[in-house]
Amino acid sequence: MDLAKYRNLFLEEATEHLAEMSRALLTLEKHPDNGEAIDLVFRMAHSIKGMAGSLGYGSITEISHKLEDRMDAYRAAGRIDVVEGIGILFRGLDGLERMVEVVRETAESPPPDSELANALSPESASAQAPVALEEPQKKGLRRAETPPRHGVSVRRHHRPRCASAPRAWTAS
Amino acid sequence: MTRVLIADDASFMRQMIRDIIEPEGFEVVGEASDGVEVIEKFKELHPDMVMMDIVMPKRSGIDSVKGIIAMDPTARVVMCSALGQESLVMEAIEAGAKDFIVKPFKPEAVVSALKKALEKES
Repeated sequence: MDLAKYRNLFLEEATEHLAEMSRALLTLEKHPDNGEAIDLVFRMAHSIKGMAGSLGYGSITEISHKLEDRMDAYRAAGRIDVVEGIGILFRGLDGLERMVEVVRETAESPPPDSELANALSPESASAQAPVALEEPQKKGLRRAETPPRHGVSVRRHHRPRCASAPRAWTAS
Repeated sequence: MTRVLIADDASFMRQMIRDIIEPEGFEVVGEASDGVEVIEKFKELHPDMVMMDIVMPKRSGIDSVKGIIAMDPTARVVMCSALGQESLVMEAIEAGAKDFIVKPFKPEAVVSALKKALEKES
């Protein structure tokens, strides 16, 4: 496998995906029941997970997998928990952005971030799940059988409002 | 030569599949980046086989399998999934997919799945 070729493809696509994810999270901060934005963040996390897994970037795979799982639960609920859930989602995005930068700068797999992984885990959830929407509002959403588990208590993450993800964020 | 259509929203994955299967004698006749495009390309190209991600924009992989099978009940579709998507894989198989492969891809598993799907009766 031509690792350099795939690494460059990964960097290009992951950067685009993270920028899209950032825009979608800003939308969700204002409109927590925006199904399109929830679905987009889910798909971006899924896609980054697949690429990172193929290149052996275990830490990126882990964080994107946990983000994907969390978004899957939000898809089932039809909305995110804007009080606490949005903060942990932004932390996940920040973590992925930092890790992608490590790949860009070193061409190596980034070190794991167990604190972030634990924060994203559903097991660390403490708050109530958001109230599920009525059936007509969930049109187009799948797998509604799984109750969401989230709501990690985290400090609210304030992001600058920008159209695309900057190269680096300050860790919260 | 078996003509394959690849559907995945990540060009990384499409390139990886192409690099795995072309040396094994498969011809990639087209690529699609979402669930609507794969239906259009299927109609246009009439591939022998479709390799399709289970999570795609605009129309999910499962809905796309249903769409393809509705057009051509003999179509051979192999799903690309990830760990933890077992229920979606089962749904895709029930919808008419012939087989599935799990990311991260092992080249031998990809080729084996394609060959198995070809051997299955349509």
